[in-house]
Amino acid sequence: MSLLVVSMLLFSVGLYGVLTRRDLVAVLASIEVMLGSATLLLIGMAASSAPIADLDLAGARIEVTAMLIIVLAAAEAAIGLALVVAVARRFRSTNIDELTGLGG
Amino acid sequence: MTGDAIVYAVLAGVAIAGGLITVFTRDITRMMIGLGAFLLALAGFFVYWGAVFLGAVQLFVYVGGVLVLFVFAIMLVHRGSDGSPRLETRHDVAALTVAGGVFFMVVSTLQDVAPRGVEGAIDSDTDRIAEVFLGPMLTHFEMAGVLLLAVLVAVVVIVGGREK
Repeated sequence: MSLLVVSMLLFSVGLYGVLTRRDLVAVLASIEVMLGSATLLLIGMAASSAPIADLDLAGARIEVTAMLIIVLAAAEAAIGLALVVAVARRFRSTNIDELTGLGG
Repeated sequence: MTGDAIVYAVLAGVAIAGGLITVFTRDITRMMIGLGAFLLALAGFFVYWGAVFLGAVQLFVYVGGVLVLFVFAIMLVHRGSDGSPRLETRHDVAALTVAGGVFFMVVSTLQDVAPRGVEGAIDSDTDRIAEVFLGPMLTHFEMAGVLLLAVLVAVVVIVGGREK
């Protein structure tokens, strides 16, 4: 299986999880799978493509970009899980079907 | 099959299996194990392509940090239930259609520009990463630091109040 198929398969699996899961923590875990697959595609394509000749330190730039994605994903997970804990305290549930306060 | 191809196939298999377990299992502990396997396979991929430092960062930040954060959140949220908490999943055709559609759309669009092979290496080492971090991407580096500080304060504000 090529790199594109592997990473897009993982992305689609994560997307399916986001759409079908009913628990907030499980939705966040699926989002992590989607973010991970995107990072995988970035690094894999950078490794197996021809190097960009006129860009200085191209490999290190790609690695730093992937590291910034990891930082963003960690920040997203921290905020998301903090919100889950706050929601669970207030509504005694993390099932997204029961959280209809904004639905009217 | 060469050694590299075998390593790639094993890593891809572990990553896909981990992703599937994360999305399809009904047991929350198994979901965490699946996510851990997926993230470990990702770190393995990075090392496979020569991005050793990135692999170490993935291992420390994701497997050591984010996964533990998930476990703590589950511990706080799913308390008081009898036995192992079960996850509700509503599988429907619409979600499958959307996920499958995105898969085929992106694969068919990017097929021509994506590299065929899976072998290669990223030309970098820690010296060059430091050079990039403190040179052309210094602004990004500092923004990431500010973001993490803001997240730290936000998390304390969101969950720091007394439980009602």
